[in-house]
Amino acid sequence: MTPLLPPNVGADELDDPFWDGCRRHEFLLHVCRECRRAYWPAASCIDHGWAPMQWQPSSGRGEVHTYTVFHHAYMPWLADRVPYAIAVVRLDEGPFFHSDIVGCAPSVVAIGLRVEVVFEEAGEGWVLPHFRPTPADAPCATDDRRIVP
Amino acid sequence: MSSGAPEFCIAGLGVTAQGRHLGIPPRALRREALELALADAGLTRRDVDGYIGTSSEPGFEDVRHLGLSPAFAWAMSAGGATATWSIINAMGAIRAGQAQVVACTYGAAPTTRPRGASGGRSGGYGAYGYGYPMMYGMVGAASAHALHAQRHMYRYGTTSAHLGAVAVAQRAHAALRPGTIGYGQPITLEEHQASPMIVEPFRLLDCCRDTDGGVVVIVTTTARASALRSKAVDILGVGTGQNLRNWWTGDVYDLHDDIAPAAHTAFGQAGLTVGDVDVASLYDPFTISPLMQLEAYGFCGPGEGGPFIAAGETGLGGKIPTNTGGGQLSGYYATGFTAVVEGILQMRGEGGATQVADAEVALVSGHGGNAGVQNTWSHATLLLGAHR
Repeated sequence: MTPLLPPNVGADELDDPFWDGCRRHEFLLHVCRECRRAYWPAASCIDHGWAPMQWQPSSGRGEVHTYTVFHHAYMPWLADRVPYAIAVVRLDEGPFFHSDIVGCAPSVVAIGLRVEVVFEEAGEGWVLPHFRPTPADAPCATDDRRIVP
Repeated sequence: MSSGAPEFCIAGLGVTAQGRHLGIPPRALRREALELALADAGLTRRDVDGYIGTSSEPGFEDVRHLGLSPAFAWAMSAGGATATWSIINAMGAIRAGQAQVVACTYGAAPTTRPRGASGGRSGGYGAYGYGYPMMYGMVGAASAHALHAQRHMYRYGTTSAHLGAVAVAQRAHAALRPGTIGYGQPITLEEHQASPMIVEPFRLLDCCRDTDGGVVVIVTTTARASALRSKAVDILGVGTGQNLRNWWTGDVYDLHDDIAPAAHTAFGQAGLTVGDVDVASLYDPFTISPLMQLEAYGFCGPGEGGPFIAAGETGLGGKIPTNTGGGQLSGYYATGFTAVVEGILQMRGEGGATQVADAEVALVSGHGGNAGVQNTWSHATLLLGAHR
């Protein structure tokens, strides 16, 4: 049985609304209502602080900004998964999100690959977002995906 | 500190054996390093009026065990930047009138199991987790650095052979340095390419290994050091950077660590430029690290790090001899102290077979500190000078 959360890691309680959103198959980001900048994980806006921050649904789309493929299993529960790809997804709304890339061979993963979220039951009441390649015509929400222009 | 004679210096260095499975508890390593540093400087325990711990333990039990009576004792934690940071912090404490002689102390034994410990293999530093990404199987510092390496390869065409050139060059230095894990064991690029893939693009020989060991660096004023036994090493300039600002702009994976502001501050204090640096001692848990840092400091242009190193420019006859003790990759992993120690040795002319002739300025870097989703938040730059 794969433990969802290994002993030395836990989901940050300030991100609970995000994980609750995943249970509803909603991919939320922490958005500043003043300037519309989006953040992940939960953060204070660098210009407007905590007060205007609100969890809001997002596109769940982005592109692979960088990635790696694990060939070594650092822990026993990962032994049957190697090789597997871990990517930093640049979400269309701006923030980075670390995820595995599913629905394709690790060798297909490349920087710039368009990806979209897919939710999967992970046991113990958890639903994890994963990312998979999207069709090439998937729209990008904005050209400038920097959080700070 | 800018212009004029350096105000601070390193007046004592203690380095224990550094290696795997030494079987010595961390506190004993710190004690031994302290005694070596005091003997090096010609100081006594009672002279130490400031203590900065840089290991994961809080350090208060250390002070009693070490037999010290300082005015202050605190611990710092910034991963691989802690060593360089601790020296900056010691300077600040001295400047603020809180101490004259500060011991920056490190000792760890990640490859020695503590007595009474149970269970399986710990995994060491290499199996660190980074918050929620660990749920997907992102485990270990190698993967966190691989994310930077992949960007560099994508943007500039850097290759595994370029990374291998880093490993080969540093092993060539370690092969000549007694007491390192690579001593007497040079490697070839073919051996690097044949080593197993761990996390792309890193092969086994792109990664450092955990080692046990202790280091103490004693920081004091140049005036105080003039009466001491050891050959003082001047602190010419120091600087810090923080990668979070690059996280906000989305540039964090292209930059490795936040060198620009640190270099600006440190070189400005020293009144030097990168062209004045004779030897570089760069924090190097993985081969991509010195490659990207050489670019960031300006020893070569953006994207040129791979060809620069492959051409031998970081070797003893090259433009900027780098990690002349083998670094962490082939020397030993005393977290950030590996780089600090080598900078000090070079400025004292004690580099042995890999001493850079007539070296007068050493550049030392450190980076690290985890924040859940990214591994290189803190950066510190240190410019050391041979005392004239």
